[in-house]
Amino acid sequence: MITIFNYFAGILKGLWNLLVGLSVTIKYCFKPVNTVQYPEVRMPLPARSRSMIKLIYDGEKDQFNCVACMMCAKACPNSCIKLEGVRMPDGKRRMTTFKLDFSTCIFCGYCVEACGFDALTFVSEEYENTVYRRGGLLQDEQAMKWVRPPHLAPKPEEVAPAPAPAPAVPGVSS
Amino acid sequence: MNLFSNLIAKAGETLHWLYIYLGVARITDLLDNVVVVVAMFGGTSLFVMFLVWMERKVSAHMQSRIGPNRVGPLGLLQTLADAIKLTIKEDIKPVNRDKIPYFIAPIVAFVATFMGLVVIPFDNGVVVQDLNVGLLYIVAITSFTVIAILTAGWSSNNRFALLGGFRSAAQIVSYEVPLVLSLVPVIMTTGTLSLNSIVLFQKTLGMWFVVPQIIAFLIFITSATAEANRAPFDIPEAESELIGGFHTEYSGVKFAMFFLGEYIAIVVSSAVAVSVFLGGWLPFPYLSAWPVPGFVWFMLKLLLMIFLIMAFRWTFPRLRVDQLMDFGWKVLIPIAILNILITGALLLFFGKGA
Repeated sequence: MITIFNYFAGILKGLWNLLVGLSVTIKYCFKPVNTVQYPEVRMPLPARSRSMIKLIYDGEKDQFNCVACMMCAKACPNSCIKLEGVRMPDGKRRMTTFKLDFSTCIFCGYCVEACGFDALTFVSEEYENTVYRRGGLLQDEQAMKWVRPPHLAPKPEEVAPAPAPAPAVPGVSS
Repeated sequence: MNLFSNLIAKAGETLHWLYIYLGVARITDLLDNVVVVVAMFGGTSLFVMFLVWMERKVSAHMQSRIGPNRVGPLGLLQTLADAIKLTIKEDIKPVNRDKIPYFIAPIVAFVATFMGLVVIPFDNGVVVQDLNVGLLYIVAITSFTVIAILTAGWSSNNRFALLGGFRSAAQIVSYEVPLVLSLVPVIMTTGTLSLNSIVLFQKTLGMWFVVPQIIAFLIFITSATAEANRAPFDIPEAESELIGGFHTEYSGVKFAMFFLGEYIAIVVSSAVAVSVFLGGWLPFPYLSAWPVPGFVWFMLKLLLMIFLIMAFRWTFPRLRVDQLMDFGWKVLIPIAILNILITGALLLFFGKGA
């Protein structure tokens, strides 16, 4: 008697389990899908994602923010940053050439951290960085030129400490 | 009154005038039959193409994907592209095949399932041939697929194909029994084997057979899924075990015929389930006042049924061979026999119409 009861109980339990499984899949069938049609639809990346390193270009002053203090080149663990600067007539230093070899760059972000003049930054939207030839990975200041759009302007409390380390870099190598 | 029947009648009249115009005397029904066959074949092929697209969409959405969406609007022409690709593909044949059975197997697989559509009532009286042994005919003709599959597996001269064929034979022979036994209570109640009469009986009864015969319905869809070699009963072509099963050595048009046959088998078994258990071309309850032709109701129910079978495939894991046999012989068949006994007892006590 108990065997017969167990037989029918097993069938009913199995049927119930199948219905639970079906309800899950059918529920998912009518849910919106998660796939993003990439080339046509682009997902907004988090603002802090390390997609590409760019040199900030100041459109108002018509010059790069970089003063060729060499802090980024020293911070780089792979020595993939090469840059040169000149002293302008007004006594300020300006960057003339900037080369970053992205074939050895590991996107560790030390250069961005070391920069005291708000000249280097990660840009999250620029994530399509594949090239057809290896030479394309060696980028100069024109390739890395990036004008900060207004909506990405740093907040005042973030700007305020930024100039502070500037005088604290006396060791601006010649 | 009935829109679809009127449409069919109109089409018949037009055809008649076309014959006169062409100077062809309507001396025989042969030309009519040819037209019906061509219409059935074309309509079924189109419907199967839609079903393949639907299956890919359903599976994609169940896995939170989009599915085909590049060829045509919503990817609707994807199946057409696949069909063209399959037909112009090189037909690769194994050298040591058994030539004649190898050639015949896909044809039998396709024709046997396609012939099942002959007795399906799409609307009141809209049947290609309303046989008075309709259900028996369908059960008999669709079980020809096992011969096709076994032939394909044998003649391919491939151990995986042969295993697939043997597995299919074991499976279909086992599941044919509960399939027929699940239909017996309905036949006992209605006293007829004609599908159209069964639908009409449900009209007079006032409810679909799925209500009193829910157990028979469940057994039927389970064994129909097994009959169509669909997952979770797809051990004859279990791709992770047997490569492609019986159609491992088939390519091009021959593979397309097997594929077409498989989908038509789904259509046929779903159509039988709809006609026998879900009221066929009868409107949904409480909606009978709507001026919708029965054909639309039938197609709606058919699509629902096919969606359910697709949901089975993308939900349940495949059964092992011994589990499959256990399930067929130790669960489905005893329950089906018990169902027949209970129905018979009730019919005896309360008379016909219970």
